[in-house]
Amino acid sequence: MNEKKIIGSVLIVGGGIGGIQSALDLAEAGFKVYLLDSAPAIGGTMAALDKTFPTNDCAMCIMAPKLVECARHLNIEIITWADIESVQGGPGNFKVTLKQHPRYVDLDKCTGCGLCTVNCPVRNIPHFEQKTIPEPKLEKEDLEKITNILNKYRKDESSLVPILQEINEEFRYLPENILNYISIKLGISLSQIYNMATFYKAFSLKPRGKHLITVCLGTACHVRGAPRILEELKRILNIKEGETTEDKLFTLETVNCLGACALGPIVVVDNNYHGQMTIRKASKLIDRLKETER
Amino acid sequence: MKRNKLKNIDELRKLRKKLKEIYKPVKQWITVCSGTGCHAYGCEKVTEAFEKEIKAQNLQDKIGLRTTGCHGFCERGPIVVIQPEGIFYQRIQPKDAKEIILQTIINKKIIDRFLYIDPISGEKIISEGEVPFYKKQKRIIFGMNGLIDPTKIEDYIAIGGYEALGKVLSSMSQKQVINEIKKSGLRGRGGAGFLTGKKWEICSAAKNNPKYIICNCDEGDPGAYMDRSLLEGNPHLVIEGMIIGAYAIGASKGYIYVRAEYPLAVSNASIALEQAREYGLLGKNILGFDFDFDIEIAKGAGAFVSGEETALIAAIEGRPPEPRLRPPYPAESGLWDKPTNINNVETWANVPWIINKGSVWYSKIGTNGSKGTKIFSLVGKINNTGLVEVPMGITLREIIYEIGGGIIGGKEFKAVQTGGPSGGCIPKELLDLPIDFESLTKAGSMMGSGGMIVMDENTCMVDVARYFLDFLRKESCGKCTSCREGLQAMYEILVNICEGQGKPEDIELLKEIAEAVKVASLCGLGVTAPNPVLSTLHYFKDEYETHIYSKKCPAGVCKELIIYKINEEKCTGCMVCQRSCSVNAISGEKQQPHKIDQEKCIKCGSCFEVCRFDAVIIE
Repeated sequence: MNEKKIIGSVLIVGGGIGGIQSALDLAEAGFKVYLLDSAPAIGGTMAALDKTFPTNDCAMCIMAPKLVECARHLNIEIITWADIESVQGGPGNFKVTLKQHPRYVDLDKCTGCGLCTVNCPVRNIPHFEQKTIPEPKLEKEDLEKITNILNKYRKDESSLVPILQEINEEFRYLPENILNYISIKLGISLSQIYNMATFYKAFSLKPRGKHLITVCLGTACHVRGAPRILEELKRILNIKEGETTEDKLFTLETVNCLGACALGPIVVVDNNYHGQMTIRKASKLIDRLKETER
Repeated sequence: MKRNKLKNIDELRKLRKKLKEIYKPVKQWITVCSGTGCHAYGCEKVTEAFEKEIKAQNLQDKIGLRTTGCHGFCERGPIVVIQPEGIFYQRIQPKDAKEIILQTIINKKIIDRFLYIDPISGEKIISEGEVPFYKKQKRIIFGMNGLIDPTKIEDYIAIGGYEALGKVLSSMSQKQVINEIKKSGLRGRGGAGFLTGKKWEICSAAKNNPKYIICNCDEGDPGAYMDRSLLEGNPHLVIEGMIIGAYAIGASKGYIYVRAEYPLAVSNASIALEQAREYGLLGKNILGFDFDFDIEIAKGAGAFVSGEETALIAAIEGRPPEPRLRPPYPAESGLWDKPTNINNVETWANVPWIINKGSVWYSKIGTNGSKGTKIFSLVGKINNTGLVEVPMGITLREIIYEIGGGIIGGKEFKAVQTGGPSGGCIPKELLDLPIDFESLTKAGSMMGSGGMIVMDENTCMVDVARYFLDFLRKESCGKCTSCREGLQAMYEILVNICEGQGKPEDIELLKEIAEAVKVASLCGLGVTAPNPVLSTLHYFKDEYETHIYSKKCPAGVCKELIIYKINEEKCTGCMVCQRSCSVNAISGEKQQPHKIDQEKCIKCGSCFEVCRFDAVIIE
């Protein structure tokens, strides 16, 4: 147990994307790596995914080269379909006992032609158990509002955006428990709902402040100096675009174009248009709003 | 007025006759523009004031009051036009209503101070048609906007509305309609300029049923708002075009896809659809013929890419609006995998005109390759901001100087940006370029939806390129790596250049990435996204070089490259800038030249804005 001899080899437990990347890095650094997985193949969860956050890249496109690299790397030995029985020793000198499950297939001879899988009579074994989210408990008032909205639409995908729009208008943002609720009621997965909610600019996942200040950043407003107005508002309110002040009074947002270019630069406060904005006028506007709040 | 289903064309014509009779005793109309621009100026209160005043003077029977769609001359709003004389009053406030009724309506006197003054000749102009802004235009599609109330279908019917639909249903076969549109040479107004008749033909030939048509009002290009004004100001023209298109193609269902930022367009279009249904112009057996068709409105939620046709289809279906690979084209497999025809608002609005007046008349307007008129939204550093409808082939100079009245403050024109974020900038050397689809593409820009953003000497072209790339990188849906990563990389380079960190090799690198993004992206957004960089690099390379080599921004826009200074000779010591400075960076006694403390200055520009003596300068 007290041997000080350091041996330069590594056992990685779990051959998911994390394990694979660690194996490759270590192998490149010159260590002998044993990559262990209890499943019949390495790859883990990522291999079962379609796209990955946040770039929506195809998961397999990222993984496949790494899988091949793992199999080909001389410093990596892949041990799959095996479990750990015991671990002994200390840092630098572990001794691990593995239990290799029987495969009933001679790996040296198998060419991976796939014929046996096609001919196997046992099918459709679910790999993943889907977790169900319990129906969230809503306030009576909210429940009424949301039921009214849902009743207006067909219960399918094409109604999702209009429903989200109404919720966004009613609550001024998309509250999490309500999204959970409509996911269950519409039978649309929560990830799909979030996909839409984050794709469109008009939706907010955070509560907005009492006054919504929107700066138009259309091209016409841009050349007439809108960025300077935005800078000034950010400075006065001490928030960035998309944020809400601590006192929950102001939310600052930007919009691509309001189509009222003759008035540019435009600042909209709670649906009131303020045209031909200047830095002075913008700061006075905020002063006035603050005044009315006092 | 109760609306009954019209059972045949005769009933439609009888209704029109009856409406004309009803409108006849009204000798004068006060029309108040209530487009979005005028709305923002407060036209609603102006209308209310007129209403009150007409009642007070007991003139309800003689004077009509109409809130109309956008007149286009948004710069001078709120606009009031008195018909039939066409007296053009501008910048009208609620308190002016009484005076207008008493003087102009009752005493037939023109009130001088409400008239528009031509900034070039200095003359006062009475009639709307004589205002230079309107004089040079050819307002076919847009002309009706100022005459009708968009929320009253009767107004539209009274001036000949839905006559084209009657003509099509009673006397033309589907093939004849398509041929007529083909012969007219109408090209899609959404940007790409595909022949509309051809598009209809492909869709009508597709075997699958049912078929759908879509009106694309997802006008995402910043600085363009003609689609909104059409749908807001004359929704029935668009709807009539759609019904005719549906008949020609054999579609049974239509959608109008409107952006979330256009609430007034949504509400006016909804009202219009409801009224058309009441008259049986939509629904089952339209005008008594064996033809069923109805339209639904789908609202967007703020995503630029959803204007691309395959993305728009995905959005209506309730999927994330990401474009997909074409072919198959929507004409064969579109909405719910059925044949679908998508046209822009303006394209649909052209259709009733072509049917009414004939393809021969239509094809006489415009140039060889581009027929008809095009509505442009003339915005930016221009005197007369607004929507202009001009025949194709007009030159940029005519639009900017004759219609637009030149540059604000008499400054020097630098460039005009057309085609939205993925269009390009056209420099002053090309001012005499006749505008049509081909010539704009040749100049490195494109027609797009028709935005025209005018830039003057105080606009920095590198900053403009950075602005557009910032817009596009945020709006890229992220599906194609080239677009998602390429735009980000180009944006970062441009930010560096604007902040004075540019390197000489950046220009070549920008070009290289731009080419890659162009070649490797799937949809129109990615393919055209490098245009703003490529066109500014082509025409304004010197500005890039000044930023990179001399670390200076000639236009005085890029914050990191400029400092604000006070010209001591010009400064009168009026203290105005000192009071406006929010960080107390300006010091100096009264009537003594002031000084800006560069350490404290945050370059917000407020001193520059308030100085009336041009004493604050940008270096």
